[in-house]
Amino acid sequence: MSRTIVDIHVVQTVPPSNINRDDTGSPKTAVYGGRRRARVSSQAWKRATRATFAELLDTSELGVRTKRVVELLSEEIVRQDPVLSGRALELAEAVLTAAGIKITPARKADAPPESGYLLFLSNRQITGLAELAVEAAAAAGEGKPDIAKAQARARADREHSVDVALFGRMVADATDLNVDAAAQVAHALSVHAVDNEYDYFTAVDDHKQADEEEDAGAGMIGTVEFNSSTLYRYATVDVNRLHDNLGDAEATRRAVEAFTRAFVASMPTGKQNTFANRTLPDAVLVVVRETQSINLVGAFEEAVQDDAEGGRVVQAITRLADHARELHEAYDEQPVAAWVFGVGEKKVAPLTELAQRGTFDPTVRAVGALVGDRLAEQA
Amino acid sequence: MTTLLLRLGAPLQSWGTSSRFVRRNTDRVPSRSGVIGLLAAAQGVRRTDPLEELLSLRIGVRIDQPGQLERDFQTARSLDGSTTMPLSYRFYLADAVFTVALEGDPDLLRGLEQALRSPVFPLYLGRRSCPPAGQLLHGLREGTVRERLETEPWHASPWTQRRHCSPTVGLDIVVDCPADAADAELVRDEPVSFDPRNRAYGWRTVHRDQVEVPNPSYQPTAPPADPFDPMAAFEEIA
Repeated sequence: MSRTIVDIHVVQTVPPSNINRDDTGSPKTAVYGGRRRARVSSQAWKRATRATFAELLDTSELGVRTKRVVELLSEEIVRQDPVLSGRALELAEAVLTAAGIKITPARKADAPPESGYLLFLSNRQITGLAELAVEAAAAAGEGKPDIAKAQARARADREHSVDVALFGRMVADATDLNVDAAAQVAHALSVHAVDNEYDYFTAVDDHKQADEEEDAGAGMIGTVEFNSSTLYRYATVDVNRLHDNLGDAEATRRAVEAFTRAFVASMPTGKQNTFANRTLPDAVLVVVRETQSINLVGAFEEAVQDDAEGGRVVQAITRLADHARELHEAYDEQPVAAWVFGVGEKKVAPLTELAQRGTFDPTVRAVGALVGDRLAEQA
Repeated sequence: MTTLLLRLGAPLQSWGTSSRFVRRNTDRVPSRSGVIGLLAAAQGVRRTDPLEELLSLRIGVRIDQPGQLERDFQTARSLDGSTTMPLSYRFYLADAVFTVALEGDPDLLRGLEQALRSPVFPLYLGRRSCPPAGQLLHGLREGTVRERLETEPWHASPWTQRRHCSPTVGLDIVVDCPADAADAELVRDEPVSFDPRNRAYGWRTVHRDQVEVPNPSYQPTAPPADPFDPMAAFEEIA
């Protein structure tokens, strides 16, 4: 069986920032190659990626992650059949229970019951479950509706949303509804060593300052920890597994395109209003492979020096290109196709030896087209 | 005896055998269940499929570069921000490198080598956000797990090797052993089933030891010239 794997490598510089912090407010870090590096966890960037999907895909292809599924489903039942408005909550609960999802009373009085944990359902699954409830209510008339477990389960387990198919789903008490993620996102690491720095700040009390009788002291003082870094970010999509999850070649192509676009262009929102650190990547390398995904983080095991020739970004891109070439030679790896885009002809030049030079949008569409062709060939 | 050698290295790995609820720990060495899970993913074995064939493998791990413990703090909330979930702590092993030796039926090992070259499911080192970096496969060799771990070159990164200034290095190993062997240590790390409805782990016994391997980066240096040697000038004349 032919395999299709899409690897996305990003070199991105962020100015002083605190994108992803730990419980003490410090920017996250990790040691790599014996040196401390800035780190943005995979979870943080996956959330940013998922949040961007809303702009790229139709809501019918997306999902919601919520505990308030009973409320959500009852609204959909009422939308489909307004006559049921009085019984919608009860019907919704019956369908969800039949699907194997445990429902518990809400903590707030008078609120509809909730699922015991955050549940990730696609909008199409919610529509499907509501249909089932409406059908059952119609069949039962005034009596208690009879909802077949197998049917409820089947509706909760097909037509996964794009985000569930990419990032997976865990349902603790209905494990047959679990979906294995088709995308893998590594923690972003800086290509160089960092030390976190501290910003001491004072906040002026405007009203007090205007009053001549008052002292001139600050209204508040504090510190914010930050660092600035050139990050290496890596994600890979297993197209065949994504196709298994979505069950449709066209949806798979759209999902790969949306993921590529969203992963490249998104930014977690941590402390963004403080630092205005929103940047776009310096260089992006997209490689379509046939055998296995290859993480190129080894290029940065030896930290890039601050005084590196041409600066960090140039060094990082050159190292990435050299490392990829050496790995491909050593393991007879022949990528199916590769594209590169980024800022500055000269900066991106080392990568153009491995990949075709392009720009963002055409590259994303080319990746999508290739994925579509390869899935069609296989079918 | 045939043995397949792997090198597990990445910026982050996480091998939990005793994680509960919001605290997800990592061991200092790759777990047997984690390694078998990695092999199963490569072969495309589903979580509910039987694992018998893989459980027949004898596994040994050598700590080439111990790495260091890294704590990650994680929050979760729903996409609309209305619901927050309990705070959780995840532990990772940063900057570690391990050599793993798998001993078993040669046909099975050849199949695994092929599967790892072109895995059915994505591979990761204990956690999905920890994809392997660098060369994973180091080939099939003759010999037992212990023999291979004694002779396989030191796979630590160049900077670790350079920092270690002696011609050989002692590396800790953890190898599966029979329950009645001397010094056997009992750990709960034998995967019985990865089925999410009925995840089960049994007990296994391991033997801990140390092996001595050469340091390829060792450079014998001549003793430095003594800058306060008053006789040096005279020796030249003589």
